[in-house]
Amino acid sequence: MKPVQLFCWHFMAYPYLAKDFDEKYDSGWVTVPNSLWDNEQAKGLYQEYIDQLAYADGLGFDGSVLNEHHQNIYGLMPSPNLIAAALTQRTTRGKIVILGNLLPLHLNPMRMAEEYAMLDQMSNGRLIAGFAPGGGPETFNYDVPSATSREKFWEAVDLIVRAWTEDGPFAHEGRYYPLRYVNPWPKPLQKPLPPIWIPGSRSASTLVEVAKRGFSYFLSSRSHGGETHKAQQQFAEILAQHGDSYQPSRFGILMSAYVSDSDRQAREECEEGVWYFLKNCLKGHLRREGRQLTFGPGVPYIPAPAWREYLKGYKPGRPLLGDVANWEELDASQSIIVGSPETVYRRIWKIVEQSKAGNLLIQFHIGNLPAELTRKSTALFARKVAPALRDDSLRFFEKHFAVAAKEREAGALP
Amino acid sequence: MSGRLLEVNQRKVWILEDGNGPPLLYLHGFADVHSVKENWLPFHERLFSHARVIAPAHPGCAQTEENWDVGSIEDVVFHYLEVVDALALKEFDLVGACVGGWIAAEIAVRHPEKIRKLALVGAAGLFVEGAPIGDVFMMAQPERGATYVGLRSMLFSHADLPKAVEFFPDGRGEIEDELRRYQMLRFSSRIGFQPPYFYNRSLKNRLHRILAPTLVVWGEDDHMVPLSHGETYARSIPKAQGIKIIKQAGHSVHVEAPDLASPIVSDFLTDR
Repeated sequence: MKPVQLFCWHFMAYPYLAKDFDEKYDSGWVTVPNSLWDNEQAKGLYQEYIDQLAYADGLGFDGSVLNEHHQNIYGLMPSPNLIAAALTQRTTRGKIVILGNLLPLHLNPMRMAEEYAMLDQMSNGRLIAGFAPGGGPETFNYDVPSATSREKFWEAVDLIVRAWTEDGPFAHEGRYYPLRYVNPWPKPLQKPLPPIWIPGSRSASTLVEVAKRGFSYFLSSRSHGGETHKAQQQFAEILAQHGDSYQPSRFGILMSAYVSDSDRQAREECEEGVWYFLKNCLKGHLRREGRQLTFGPGVPYIPAPAWREYLKGYKPGRPLLGDVANWEELDASQSIIVGSPETVYRRIWKIVEQSKAGNLLIQFHIGNLPAELTRKSTALFARKVAPALRDDSLRFFEKHFAVAAKEREAGALP
Repeated sequence: MSGRLLEVNQRKVWILEDGNGPPLLYLHGFADVHSVKENWLPFHERLFSHARVIAPAHPGCAQTEENWDVGSIEDVVFHYLEVVDALALKEFDLVGACVGGWIAAEIAVRHPEKIRKLALVGAAGLFVEGAPIGDVFMMAQPERGATYVGLRSMLFSHADLPKAVEFFPDGRGEIEDELRRYQMLRFSSRIGFQPPYFYNRSLKNRLHRILAPTLVVWGEDDHMVPLSHGETYARSIPKAQGIKIIKQAGHSVHVEAPDLASPIVSDFLTDR
């Protein structure tokens, strides 16, 4: 039984937008003019971000998390695999989580199978392989037809798993990716294959597909509370229906954190970065202002019966995370946890206790937060928050999940 | 209402049928029967006196079964050949709006002998350099969490037109109307989302194969399929009778100006 695994997630936001960005521009995604990129200011930006991840690795985090986004200011990693390749040479112990490669955006999923296999070899078996279908913005980035994106995604995932676990060459007779010679060189180092994580936002069909294949599930929601708990319960139920049992290691959640010496100082130091993140980075994604690209009838990727169910509960214009009006509302969303080590510990522990998540994917660099503050907060977290979270979670998980884990080891469960 | 499910090659296709006269197959667009409304629009009703109007819902629209084999316009054409056979139509009039117009043109270039007369209303389908078809999918994403001004501006001459607001209201409309809108976008994304975007570059050089007298109807202020597309259809189809441009109307002329559009179509079909 492992304690809660603490990962450092870097989104690599573009941090040099002018103060009037929100007034002047409709969106931080897809159509945000790339003429706003300033080479003078951005020189060395990737190096700095990679340094921050290497620094977190040195502080004892269980791993780094990267993800794929295109044409936006929220995350400057069209290819997270390039950053991962750099990390294989800059870090030595933590996992490298890519969450994930957006399979329907790419012509041939074997390229992802090959790159992930290279990364696993280059990192000496430290890769956690995430795959995602891409959301609304990515649909527009790469013109992915929505109706078939989920089906394409699962065909690609299954092909990659087969390519990693079966000897080639073999032919793949799929609808979307028919291939005559599947034979990747190299295969991954980890056997039978690297851990696979799939993000989702509580759609039952995704949970079922994840459970069927024995993968881990990552809840992509940025706010926590009852819904996170419900997602865990739903996942546990679906696992049980598939003859499996819930383990905290199978479930991950995302949050942001900023730690400083006192609650007041923490808020003062990170507030500018937080608002930059909420108002600029989330515009077009998790904000009402402008055009919301993430979810809607223009990206019709869920089948019509599920859309009918969604419509029944749909509240037009309901506020999203980026619409919070003040700090108190933000606090209530349990999305960005800000405070002294004691406060941050207490609040995150509550989320762990409630969600029973065994993987916390934590964003430390928020919006345009300065580098030195990001490092300070990351270090304080590693030294003063992480130890207690690890101790308490180990006790808690052992108490609740050790029996099922033993049964699993004994072969009573798959 | 006279709707029914037709069994077509082991799939169910939802069909509305009404009127008396020679058969007229109507293929719907975005602001239309099956893709918003459950029932006929005034534009269609005015054709009943002299035509037997048959309007199938596209695969996955209204109560027509979704078809996972549909991945291209070619697949849709074959679907409609099956529909035409199931209806035992040997020769018929063919009218299509927007995406439905594209499908109609693709059927007509393959089977000119089946089409007695063809009418294209704001039809997609062509590549016209410098005049791209508007991105209806991007516009279908809500603004300020709940408004569809951009979508209405694209599909109509003005976003605040009462008809536009009725067809694409802000917030959440009637669930079944919302669902039909969603199904139409989902069907369309199968054939028109991935580039080429709602067009087939090969279509233009095939238009000369169409034998039927053809009417091209366009809204003067079409913000989705530019007028130059209509002019290209009218120029390239041998028996096209020019282009009828309806003033002060947008892409969905059949909704915005049925009093003008419907008589133009019926006069053409009845040789008046």
